[in-house]
Amino acid sequence: MTQHKTLIIGYGSPIRGDDAIGPLAADALAAGPLPAGVNVISRHILTAELVEDIVAADRVIFLDATVDGEPGEVRVRSLAPDASAMSSMAHFLDPRELLAWSQALYQHEPEAYLVSAAGAFFEYSNYTLTPAAAAALEPMIERVRELIAVR
Amino acid sequence: MSRTITIEPVTRIEGHARITLQLGDQGEVEDARFHLTQFRGFEKFCEGRPYREMPALTARTCGICPVSHVLASNKACDHLLSVTIPPTAEKLRRIMNLAQITQSHALSFFHLSSPDLLLGWDSDPATRNIFGVMRQDPALAKDGIRLRQIGQMIIEILAGKKIHPTWVVPGGVAEALTQEKREAILKLLPEGLEIAKRTYGFFKTLVPKFKDETSHFGTRPTMFMSLVTPKGNLEHYDGFLRIKDAQGRIVEDMVPTVDYQRLVGEAVEDFSYMKFPYYKPMGYPKGVYRVGPLARLNNAEACGTPYADVALAEFHMLQEYGPITSSFHYHYARLVEIIFAIEMMERLLKDPDILDHRVRARARSNRDEGIGVSEAPRGTLMHHYRIDDDGLITWVNLIIATGHNNLAMNQAIRQVADAYVDGNHLQEGMLNRVEAVIRCYDPCLSCASHAFGQMPLLIELKDAAGQVVDRLTRG
Repeated sequence: MTQHKTLIIGYGSPIRGDDAIGPLAADALAAGPLPAGVNVISRHILTAELVEDIVAADRVIFLDATVDGEPGEVRVRSLAPDASAMSSMAHFLDPRELLAWSQALYQHEPEAYLVSAAGAFFEYSNYTLTPAAAAALEPMIERVRELIAVR
Repeated sequence: MSRTITIEPVTRIEGHARITLQLGDQGEVEDARFHLTQFRGFEKFCEGRPYREMPALTARTCGICPVSHVLASNKACDHLLSVTIPPTAEKLRRIMNLAQITQSHALSFFHLSSPDLLLGWDSDPATRNIFGVMRQDPALAKDGIRLRQIGQMIIEILAGKKIHPTWVVPGGVAEALTQEKREAILKLLPEGLEIAKRTYGFFKTLVPKFKDETSHFGTRPTMFMSLVTPKGNLEHYDGFLRIKDAQGRIVEDMVPTVDYQRLVGEAVEDFSYMKFPYYKPMGYPKGVYRVGPLARLNNAEACGTPYADVALAEFHMLQEYGPITSSFHYHYARLVEIIFAIEMMERLLKDPDILDHRVRARARSNRDEGIGVSEAPRGTLMHHYRIDDDGLITWVNLIIATGHNNLAMNQAIRQVADAYVDGNHLQEGMLNRVEAVIRCYDPCLSCASHAFGQMPLLIELKDAAGQVVDRLTRG
């Protein structure tokens, strides 16, 4: 039986306060024990070459901060490819656009989720999470563990 | 009646910018300006931080070209330490810089500019994007992804998985290269070179189709500035500053990078957050120059690697005499540089000293001012710091590649607008060309300032009373 492969991508700026929660959660997951077949990536932004990693995965879990919701609120939603989710700047990509690249170029559409935590403060030159976002870190990680526990 | 056209945001570039075209009574273009509409103030918020934090701090200027900032910043720190880094450390830093150039140029060519080049300037804007390219030429799109991945993988093999590498440190690099890592990188390079050569060959067949754009996309005279080796060859990491004029005469040569202030002045305009560097001896705004791949190839006597030298010779044949003046040929120059970068990485990795364990010079700060200059993908990048007796930053000046090109970009959009924009009858393709000339420079506005956000493209034509008389929307 071939191994089920899960890719976790945490992304966000490390100098914009709560925006860092995605990569911080990814780093925490990478540091702990993970089932076989789980690969974790931390990024400042989503860029084109990640498509190659997505193509190699059966399931992709994106971890990001959001301005929607009460600070600290953790949400999970499934994602589908969406070519219309293009950024006007094109140097950073929406996760749905990356999935659409995978679908269009490689006809590969992995199961995909976005696990987000609502942040409260995103100004530049801030290197720590607000208490609300910091408190969301563990629940965020827990939701990811629940997702990867499902085979 | 005078009117203004606003293009906001300029799409398929890094960061937020706006273009305004001022039209005269007959619909002719009277003025054109490129505005950077975002602000970050990195130079200010670095003050008070320990100088050793500067590489990590400035790397976060941008998620796209952190390696470039890491290198220039560490070079400024080397200067503060007053050390010459070990030769192997320098070679390893060079490899990282070349990997960064490979992946950055790949993004610019394959993903940002290929929709125009492949699908046409006047094609339907709804499909003139990367998905249009995927439909038209999926192999090309895959090549772009793979080449970018190869560059990124090399950076990760050297520095770890973090996008902001901490492997480069003041005095050298933190860890020597292992044989295993060397082999892993060497294994990636043949495929990268094949993609680069294939793409270069393909693009050469496209160039003749763009005669009109080539003759209008930023051909007005400017000087060219870049680093060169002591022999005057292509250089991306160290060396000396060279400036050629529009006729190809060398006006400055073998200038030590620590003397950059003799060459470069910085002006400020109230319509943009980006500074306007200029060649000081000619004054502002006359001292306009370009940096980046086009300038580097114009200034280089040779690349010094086999395939890139053949490509450089072909590059020089794009124009009958003198330096290559059209900014359209930034695309061409990028592809030549990718070939060079891959060839040079292989050469450096096969150097017998590359596995040497002496990779870091250790010292405390030994001077109060440090200057680091390297070539980022988009051009010459300058970091200049002053510190106090406790090693805390008291003053920072960053001159970013995109900033050097600011005057030239403004000049170029004016030229393109003159050639293509008819203010009495707006067509999207006209304005796309105005944007496209900016994309030739691949500006990284995150580095020149920054704040992310998104908005649809809206182009409005207003009369002098502010009434909208024509409107185009996109996105």
